[in-house]
Amino acid sequence: MHDTKDASTKPGEQGHEKVEEEAVRILTDPGSWAKHGSGTDEEGPRSETNGDSDNWKLQPGNRVAVIGGGPAGSLFSQFLLKTMAHLDIDIDVEIYEPRDFNFCGPAGCNHCGGVVSESLIQILGTEGVVLPEEVVQRGIDSYVMHMDVGSVRIETPLQEKRIAAVYRGNGPRQSEPASIAGFDHHLISLARSAGAKVRQQMVTEVDLDEGRPRITCADGHRQTYDLLVVASGVNSALLGLIEKSGLEFKAPTAVKSFVAEFKLGAATIERSFGTSMHVFLLDIPRLQFAALIPKGEYLTLVMLGDDVDQELVESFLNAPEVRSCFPGNRPPDNACQCFPRLNLSHVRRPFADRVVFIGDSGVARLYKDGIGSAYRTAKAAANCVALHGISARDFHYHYWPACKKIAIDNLLGRCVFGFCHLLQKLRFARRSVMRMTVIEQRTEGAIPHMSSVLWDVFTGSAPYREVLFRTLHPFFLGRLIWNLLAANAWKSGRRNRELSTP
Amino acid sequence: MKSEELTETDRTDEADFVFKPVRPVQSEGQAPCQLNCPCSTNIRDWIAPIAQREHTGASLREAYEEAWTRIVDHNPFPAVMGRICPHPCESGCNRIGKDGNVSVSALERFLGDWALEQKLRLPRLDRESRDESVAVVGAGPAGLSYAYQMARRGYRVKVFDWHPEAGGMLRYGVPKYRLPRSVLDAEIARITELGVELCLGVRIGTDLSLEELKADHQLLFLGLGTQQGRLMNIPGENGASVWVGTDFLERYNEGHALSLGEHLVVIGGGNTAIDVARTGRRSGARVTVLYRRQLEEMPAIDSEIRHAREEGVDFEDLATPLEISRDASGALRGLTVQRLHPGKQDDDGRHVPQAIPGDTYYLDASAVVIAISQVTDWTGLEDAESMAGAETTRQPDSRLTLGGDVLRLGIASQAIAEGRKCAEQARGEPPNSLLADKTLPTVKVDHYAGADSVNLTEALPDERLLSPDLETSHTISENEFLAEVQRCLSCGSCLGCYQCWMYCNAGSFTPLEQGGPGQYFSFDSDLCEGCGKCIELCPCGYLSPK
Repeated sequence: MHDTKDASTKPGEQGHEKVEEEAVRILTDPGSWAKHGSGTDEEGPRSETNGDSDNWKLQPGNRVAVIGGGPAGSLFSQFLLKTMAHLDIDIDVEIYEPRDFNFCGPAGCNHCGGVVSESLIQILGTEGVVLPEEVVQRGIDSYVMHMDVGSVRIETPLQEKRIAAVYRGNGPRQSEPASIAGFDHHLISLARSAGAKVRQQMVTEVDLDEGRPRITCADGHRQTYDLLVVASGVNSALLGLIEKSGLEFKAPTAVKSFVAEFKLGAATIERSFGTSMHVFLLDIPRLQFAALIPKGEYLTLVMLGDDVDQELVESFLNAPEVRSCFPGNRPPDNACQCFPRLNLSHVRRPFADRVVFIGDSGVARLYKDGIGSAYRTAKAAANCVALHGISARDFHYHYWPACKKIAIDNLLGRCVFGFCHLLQKLRFARRSVMRMTVIEQRTEGAIPHMSSVLWDVFTGSAPYREVLFRTLHPFFLGRLIWNLLAANAWKSGRRNRELSTP
Repeated sequence: MKSEELTETDRTDEADFVFKPVRPVQSEGQAPCQLNCPCSTNIRDWIAPIAQREHTGASLREAYEEAWTRIVDHNPFPAVMGRICPHPCESGCNRIGKDGNVSVSALERFLGDWALEQKLRLPRLDRESRDESVAVVGAGPAGLSYAYQMARRGYRVKVFDWHPEAGGMLRYGVPKYRLPRSVLDAEIARITELGVELCLGVRIGTDLSLEELKADHQLLFLGLGTQQGRLMNIPGENGASVWVGTDFLERYNEGHALSLGEHLVVIGGGNTAIDVARTGRRSGARVTVLYRRQLEEMPAIDSEIRHAREEGVDFEDLATPLEISRDASGALRGLTVQRLHPGKQDDDGRHVPQAIPGDTYYLDASAVVIAISQVTDWTGLEDAESMAGAETTRQPDSRLTLGGDVLRLGIASQAIAEGRKCAEQARGEPPNSLLADKTLPTVKVDHYAGADSVNLTEALPDERLLSPDLETSHTISENEFLAEVQRCLSCGSCLGCYQCWMYCNAGSFTPLEQGGPGQYFSFDSDLCEGCGKCIELCPCGYLSPK
């Protein structure tokens, strides 16, 4: 984007925003401090004298390409087409998605645990994105937290904080796609009915054709567009291709996670796991977080950690706390497994003239609620494109703030997960958290301080900032310290033993 | 605690959970089209250079040439076979259940015509010429195929045939509306350009003895074919106005006028019978085909039967003549026809018709053609016949080889395959390895976008009857050809869809610099994380679980 480069070196005027953004950048990418000095000469707005602002607005008949038909791409297309229809501007939106999310197993899957918070479902509903019963598999009403010091059941604090589960594809490998309807398939169908054209083609090259983005597919199809929206996520080679394309873009760093499905049958799952999601905070090296989520006939395992691999998967599944959850004291052979990538950092500048990166390809929520951040970035980008324009400057003022909010919250999220990690390492801390939670859950009418904090960490249903602030509340800290003492001073006490079962 | 209850009652398995990686292997599978081709032409692999030219960067001409070269490796007659072969290859196409098979016949015909237009020459295999000389008896598909395969391997080849022109059944059996003679002539000319010498009008066994041939040549190939039509052994079949199918077609194709009268009755259900029937319509006669089994069991090509119907041929199935009746002067009057019921199925699943006692009827006829079967004419070659034995063997002695219909009555494609097989055998080459040990891949037909099959445009029935030599269907256009080529699923062979590479989180797949049809990516199993996603994404079945 030769154009942008000139424009972006103009001195910035938006002082306040500039400073805040710079702070985020320095915090998230310390290396950039050295590289860019004070950083004031970066990211300035495109020159106003450039004139001809209509050039940077979508015109009737303009073509928009969306690479990736996951939640971000599908929601973006739908939002954009709806807004443009209100403005009475007719544009073409083409979604490039080579896969059919109606396939069972990995071929149709978009790899994630598929946990969606009830609040997100409600928000989507108000946007006109209604998810029918067969898409949303409700029924999870509690968490069971497993630690070496015991297990505790945490009931949903408030009804709107219920959790729903969705399948990203059409169910696991070899499943019978009877009553399952894939979340992604549903969303892309909605985009299609809003007027988007879905091209079942694989993009293998992105470059610029006289300042406009151009796409080349594996089958030789080549097309230049007025706007390119990248919503490919981090689980394909596409972002790597874009890095090489001449667009100034650096893909976000990603971390390996593990997702597996176990076929246990609905009855066994009901008996052994109930209607709870089982969360494990175990002191296994490199393991950060693991959860077992019941979904109909299947049980989904999600593991986060540091370089999750075969060895870590085995040591987790063979841990006594995990084995004891399964009938027969051993997990069965799994039906489906993969190591999907999760964003660890975000794209520093997820836009350029006529190009914008949304969903995981741009900025995503740390570890949790990727669908939520896909929705938020898709919404912000669609509004920016429809109401403001498609230049880097437009994206900078009207799209980046939404991304920045997520990025800042992720910083705080890292602190939250740091605490969790500490908890996993320190046995006495685990005891105190366990004790505090158990008492909260046992006592009718008690204010569930710890429970709600844990709930929000596990579900991702509240911003990390909120979670962090709650834990810093003097009352919370006071109770925590009390429990710390109580749980560890009388560790052989009857009450503690009693409490260690949910 | 629930888990505690369970651990007490169900604690049975103390074995550790073991992670089981699902890893792919890259292995070429057997395409069903190739498996079903009597000539074992590697159909998938000749379509690939054209369908995948975007990947290889080949020009259209280069791609066409590559494809044609691959066809003629097995079959030197693509323009001919594209027209007349029943294409059993199409019957196993994985696309059938989706939106119709790939029209291999239309593709082969287009490419064959293109090569004739471009005057492409048949490629030689060996540069050096050999001293041994080869005599071929019979200039039909088997003999010419053998001659071609030997000539391109450097042998001096002479082909003998008692007909005035080469082509055998292709010329004297197949009607011109199915195969214009210009196409046949041009494809035969390409073989003679390789140095094959044609000695026509010479009947081995009478004009020249087999012994004399043996004295002059080191290797002999007898591709005698089956030109002698069989009669039915019914009263009245010997006499005027009754022909056997092969004789009838030969006379017609040589341009002799045939007086058929008003109503021609054809007996039989094979391609010869249908050729006779359609030819009869072109001579102005009313035509009825009598077939002893049910219509669905007719061995003739379906489209031929359809064309015959369009042209006004009547079919009567479950019927066989008992007697041909003549008047006092010997002129044909009609047939007494026995009605049959389908009978029980035999081991091959075909019904064995049984006469319905007393159920006969009379059919007026002015001419009858019996086209039920044909045998080899061994006149003058009785020595060879006895040497070949009752169970006709391919190689009665080290210098003499038999091939084609003489061994087993079949379609032309089979005869062409025989020619190649015998040439390989003569050279001591290992038999065609293409079919060895390969499994049919699991092709994920749903993963491919839908695309309708090419529509063949055909001349109207009235036009066809008015101009008897007018070809029934046309060669498809280049645009149609290129669209049809894209419909090939490339079963079992990497077509460069990029899915494995795009979605492998571990980066185990690397595009090959010299990648081409069959393999575009290398796979590094050390990087593989064992999720098996690539196997399920691979549409053509080239990646399979280890």
